[in-house]
Amino acid sequence: MSVQAASLPAATPVAAPAAKRQRRGLRPSRIVINVVLAAIAIFWLVPSIGIFIISLRPNSAFEQSGWWTVLTAPAQLTFSNYQNLFSAGFKPGGVLDSLTTSIAITVPVTILVTLISSLTAYSLVFGRWRGRTLVFLVIVALLVLPLQMALIPVASLYKVFDNATGLQLFGSVIGTIIFHVAFGLPFGIFLMRNFYSGIPHDLLEAGRIDGAGEWTLFRKVVMPIGIPALASLAIFQFIWVWNDLLVALIFLSGNPHGTLTLFLYGQTRALANNYYIISTGAMISIVIPLIVFFAFQRYFVRGVLAGAVK
Amino acid sequence: MAGVVLDDLTKRYDGGALAVDKLNLDVHDGEFVCLVGPSGCGKTTALRMIAGLEEITSGEVRIGDRVVNNLPPRDRDIAMVFQSYALYPHMSVRDNMAFGLQLRKTPKADIDKAVLEAARILDLERFLDRKPGQLSGGQRQRVALGRAIVREPAVFLMDEPLSNLDAKLRVQTRAEIARMHTRLQATMIYVTHDQVEAMTMGDRIAVINEGVLQQAGTPKDLYELPQNRFVAGFIGSPSMNFIDLKVTQDGGVLRLVGEGAEMRPDDTQAALLRDQGVETVTVGFRPEHLELATLSGPGLSVTVTVDVVEFLGNDELIHGSSEGRDVVAIINADNTLTVDQSVTLSSPPRRLHLFNPTTGLRIASDGLPRGDLVARRIGTS
Repeated sequence: MSVQAASLPAATPVAAPAAKRQRRGLRPSRIVINVVLAAIAIFWLVPSIGIFIISLRPNSAFEQSGWWTVLTAPAQLTFSNYQNLFSAGFKPGGVLDSLTTSIAITVPVTILVTLISSLTAYSLVFGRWRGRTLVFLVIVALLVLPLQMALIPVASLYKVFDNATGLQLFGSVIGTIIFHVAFGLPFGIFLMRNFYSGIPHDLLEAGRIDGAGEWTLFRKVVMPIGIPALASLAIFQFIWVWNDLLVALIFLSGNPHGTLTLFLYGQTRALANNYYIISTGAMISIVIPLIVFFAFQRYFVRGVLAGAVK
Repeated sequence: MAGVVLDDLTKRYDGGALAVDKLNLDVHDGEFVCLVGPSGCGKTTALRMIAGLEEITSGEVRIGDRVVNNLPPRDRDIAMVFQSYALYPHMSVRDNMAFGLQLRKTPKADIDKAVLEAARILDLERFLDRKPGQLSGGQRQRVALGRAIVREPAVFLMDEPLSNLDAKLRVQTRAEIARMHTRLQATMIYVTHDQVEAMTMGDRIAVINEGVLQQAGTPKDLYELPQNRFVAGFIGSPSMNFIDLKVTQDGGVLRLVGEGAEMRPDDTQAALLRDQGVETVTVGFRPEHLELATLSGPGLSVTVTVDVVEFLGNDELIHGSSEGRDVVAIINADNTLTVDQSVTLSSPPRRLHLFNPTTGLRIASDGLPRGDLVARRIGTS
């Protein structure tokens, strides 16, 4: 046995691909591909760069010349737009207040959707109850239900609920969160269920024999394996909710604390001379999803199941 | 450590399919028992019922002196090695082995000690910090064994642990498991479809077919005294040959005759046949017990036309036919046989097995030793 084990050099699996990569890097065809890809990337970035530069120029400059003039005269760049926006502080309807509302909606929605989807998918895949397939089919059917179709019925439902209980769901952050979670779950469950279906049942049985209960199995075995899917779901969900305007427009109507999208929307209505605010607000709005994306993207590890079975 | 008792263990699936039918087996403390049978015979289902992964329809499983029917797997004091290894892919080898102990809240120092000891036994010390994905198939299987060892369970359950390994590694790991058993002196129940594996590893073997226990006994018992035609055909490689012969009386002398074959029973066999009064008998004879010779005394002789000759080195494997029946023989390679040659093969009476062609049961007097359990219902192959 020891002879067999010793004949496998320890460095083999790591060293081999590295060497391969180095060889590939030298090929001229790869250089061409990289140049083309870089060109496409720059082309795609131009609008974002434009907005970024606009946000750094005084409003007066916007009306006189194009943003690309910065390339020859960088002295015009200033943080004054940001200073103006932030100086208003947490005034209701201001950018910081809107940022807070957006975070207060997006973060709980993302956490709730990933957690509930993951738990439901676990039960759908590994549970031992009748009707699992039927429930899953119903959830898949819900995927095709357009969100726009449900806006008015759900809003009416909220009003009925508010009238009956005296609580205020309609126009509140909590009401918006509930709506987003409800519409995020079908896709979340669909994604997680399909991912968990690929986990061999043997792994859970091994866990049960090792002494794990269902909760431990979920937390220690299934969730860690599901991290790539959870990370993608979290990113999707975060960006969807963060960029949402329609739901916020309806379910936060009458609320002085709007989301960032509502804040930006408010500026577009006030004629074209607010571009300096819109571009600055847009940059602030981009930063948060970018942070989330870079924080989670390292979990996109492929082949996490390698070596589990066979 | 503890023994395992299966008492009328039965599994019937919701659709009505009977996977295991009243299985009775007494596995002694420290014994290595192999459950063997063809694919779909119910051996894995039986093992999973012992593990607590499959619900028991009726009957009882006892581990030590406890009835464990309603206990979850974690409370049964067992460890299981899966055919697919079932290693946690996101954990290192060390964590894979430690997981069970961590869940039992074993002190960390004890866990480290147990893991290192298991790694030492299985030669895995260098791989402790690797993930299963970075290991070869053989190493993964050893990690799966290690995960079972560290728990020091009363009973080890193994579900075809070698079937995903290549031939060479299989032989090595087989020896590894045998050594592990000697060292730990633990009760082991080992499921396999490979009768060679069962014969080489098991203290005792239980042959199962269509959910029914056919015979349980030592490898020697099963080889020399198969209780029915199924066991006779399943145990041994290549399989036993069978020929149906008619019983005739010739001036007070009993003979069994058929086309291209004849058998003269010895006194014991003749007495048995007279006793049972059967008209036709299925005679079983193993390929390795045939030789190129014409008999003068009691025994079986078969005339065979050679179809294929396979050279094995010391021996030759002869595939032949005798009046439409396939006959396989292993004979010394010094005999140069050629295809289409007609030869007479013979086997001495003590190497012959007589079966009732209707029931498939061995024709034997009650005084003869059988395995420790006799089949309840016989499935003929």
